[in-house]
Amino acid sequence: MAGILVYALHDDEGNFNNNSLGAISEAAKLVGSVGGEAAALVVGDVDDAACAGLGKYGATKVYRAKSVPEGLAQPIVDAMAKVMTDNSISYALFGGGLLGFEIGAGLTARLNAGVTMEVTSVKAEGDKLIAERPVLQDSAVVDVGYVGEPGIIIGRLNAFDAQESGSGDATVEDVEVELSEWSTKARMITRGESGDEGGVNIEDADILVGAGRGLGSPENLSVAEDLANALGGAVASTRAIVDAGWTPYSTQIGQTGKTVAPKLYLAAGISGAIQHKVGMQNSENIVAVNKDPNAPIFEFSDLGIVGDLHKILPKLTEAIKAKKGG
Amino acid sequence: MAQAVEPAQYPPPFDEADLIKQPTDPEDERIEVGIAIVGGGPAGLACANRLLDRLEDEPELAEKLGEVPVAVLEKGKVAGAHELSGANMKPHVMRELFPDLQPEDWPFAYQEVTKDAVYLLTKRAALPLVPMPPNFRNHGNYVISVSKLARFLAEKAEEKGAYILTETVADALLVEDRIVKGVRSGDRGRGKDGEPLGNFEPGSDVVAKATVLAEGTLGHLTQAATEYFDLAGSLPVRWELGVKEVWEVQKPLDKVIHTMGWPLRKAAKWNEFGGSFIYPMGEDKLCIGMVIGLDYTDSTLSCHDLLQELKTHPFVRKLLEGGKRVAWGAKTIPSGGYFAMPRSLAVPGMVIAGDAASMVNVPTLKGVHYALRAGMLAADAIVDSLKQDSVNFENYHEAVHKSEIGEDLFESRNMRAPFSKGFFIGGAIASAMTITKGAFPGGKWSYEPDTEIPMRDGGASKRYPEPDNELTFNKLDSVFLSGNATRDDAPNHVRIQRHVPRELAKTWVNLCPAQVYEIPEDQLENGAPTVDVHVTASNCVQCGAINAKGGRLTMPEGGDGPLYQET
Repeated sequence: MAGILVYALHDDEGNFNNNSLGAISEAAKLVGSVGGEAAALVVGDVDDAACAGLGKYGATKVYRAKSVPEGLAQPIVDAMAKVMTDNSISYALFGGGLLGFEIGAGLTARLNAGVTMEVTSVKAEGDKLIAERPVLQDSAVVDVGYVGEPGIIIGRLNAFDAQESGSGDATVEDVEVELSEWSTKARMITRGESGDEGGVNIEDADILVGAGRGLGSPENLSVAEDLANALGGAVASTRAIVDAGWTPYSTQIGQTGKTVAPKLYLAAGISGAIQHKVGMQNSENIVAVNKDPNAPIFEFSDLGIVGDLHKILPKLTEAIKAKKGG
Repeated sequence: MAQAVEPAQYPPPFDEADLIKQPTDPEDERIEVGIAIVGGGPAGLACANRLLDRLEDEPELAEKLGEVPVAVLEKGKVAGAHELSGANMKPHVMRELFPDLQPEDWPFAYQEVTKDAVYLLTKRAALPLVPMPPNFRNHGNYVISVSKLARFLAEKAEEKGAYILTETVADALLVEDRIVKGVRSGDRGRGKDGEPLGNFEPGSDVVAKATVLAEGTLGHLTQAATEYFDLAGSLPVRWELGVKEVWEVQKPLDKVIHTMGWPLRKAAKWNEFGGSFIYPMGEDKLCIGMVIGLDYTDSTLSCHDLLQELKTHPFVRKLLEGGKRVAWGAKTIPSGGYFAMPRSLAVPGMVIAGDAASMVNVPTLKGVHYALRAGMLAADAIVDSLKQDSVNFENYHEAVHKSEIGEDLFESRNMRAPFSKGFFIGGAIASAMTITKGAFPGGKWSYEPDTEIPMRDGGASKRYPEPDNELTFNKLDSVFLSGNATRDDAPNHVRIQRHVPRELAKTWVNLCPAQVYEIPEDQLENGAPTVDVHVTASNCVQCGAINAKGGRLTMPEGGDGPLYQET
């Protein structure tokens, strides 16, 4: 057995999900040790060019199951199981997200495989993969190996970065999948992101301005929004301001909210309680503005500014606009 | 200077009578069990184990109890998730419950106590008390984790055929014609304002031939039953609050340590009764905790921060050097003792066992073995009565009072009260009580309910250390370590008045080890006599302390709250 299969999720317009692309890049990195191919499975009628284009992220092979509907887990479990079995693939890798969890769990049961969830990193030892996952509320990280094959690895959201490193197009192979009886019992009626009132999915944003209670009042949110607009990013929230009703729950970052890893996280008036930290600590660059020099956020910021955010943020917004304009 | 405020003047918007209900589900939808045990702690699970042992020899009764002879309702994610104690356990009751197991086989026990010491702390020094006050003697006891003990007891009970219903809250007591018929489990999947969410599941009537309230400290239904059946003891129930941490340490601790004195203040006006415990947990761990009576008077006193301050004492710091904090939690301890126990421990269809019934010996800091004993006695009484088709369990009440529970608690009945006279005078009187087994000065020492102690700013918080994240920690980091990840849109389960005098609001802010209560930032310094109180209920670790200072903790959704591992 050899190779790694990634499930490549796409939306109705055929755009691939960022987490899936991240998983493909991760598979491409690891496949050298495992042997075989870094492969992706695409369901639905996605055109050749789009499928082959996954090669940019490191896939060398794309299996396309045209007749399998996108959106529900069971039909995709059927497709994944068939491709894994027919091609003796060693590992399945998911980028995260609810659908990934559901498909991964189903596939595990179907193939009688081993599974690791909430994985933040994967490494190779010989030709075997070892998944790293945080445990005990992220206070420790454990290595999980697989005693047999196949092994299922389900990443935490945003655990893997999408990297355009691959060379050319991937080979596309169509597969016929016979759906199980139970897989056709449910169908998707409508599909939509719940609660994204702002229309921005903060999990996909490259730049986030995190808004905390230090803003003082909901009226002051505009200071953060202006900065986010100038930067081309979105506003994320702490539990405290969601709790106070300033922003919707869909923007909450942290232990009981979303986990993000943008290129830039600018924390405005956020003290940096650990409950918030666990949701954004993997951001590439963390900049904090807070009037309290003892705020814990400064302990894990790349750049900290002690001062009044009501003065600093508008100036920053102006400067960025000026720079972009010029 | 702000006026002192009595919490009792601002009672919580809550009526205990609302928790007494009749079964409402259609008969075929009720969950029928033989014996319903509320609470998967030492008392409830000892009861379950004993019941199933007894039912082995009583096939006729077992048959009558139906498909689910014994069900344990546990609000935590697992049995043990909400369990926290010192704990030094006297081993003999455990041996009786599991005669085939040796202490070496107890997965919840760390070691036998071979050495113990009591120190009086001053700000810089630690003076050993020799001879040691006899109530602190722990030789031959075992350092255990109650969180692990409950997991062990649950596993054993399940092996014998008990149903452990975790993440299940008992939210109302089902009563018909003054006979307890079971409990109603709590709803799940409600939103912030109580509205049903997509995953809403209503509670169910769990009807039983016998109901055991083993809810632990501040039992939700125990309080309601106490009022409805008029069970209050002759003195009010009162509590102490304990905050505890587990540390991985470089070198093993060789003895059980208790401390008195600093950082608590000795003068009578502060009424700061308490101390610390430091117990070894095998080769590489120890636990350290701070306990304070909730009849203190300073609105800025915080037990969590007292523990942080304690750790900065040179004597304590040395024990923790190079170590790492691995667990944190908080819980109240019923400390009213003998006179605060319910007037009757049984009413038709129901019994009360363990901490819920104040079965704690405060001077010796013991309660676990009483809880186990009470659970076993309850099981025996229930089996004996149900065999004769009777739901009158009064023989349980008598059995408890004839057992070591009744005897020990009677001997130490007045020991806690004198400490409101200050540390030294109180200590002297309590010593005399110990020596005479309670005969001197005898009688009954009365005290006020905790909620009637006026609160004023006494400046305790000025001394608390800034957290350094190595030795000392803030409340939110600590809540995180408790494993609490309660969803934020759950309904608020804490009943308090939301606009109160500043001193009362400060009392709650400082009292709560989990940062549930906050005064909005713009009202902190505005000088107004009354302020709003903001409640972050999802931080709550269900210690219960708010009840002693004017609030009422109710049941959150099953599964909410901490997930203690080895507290």
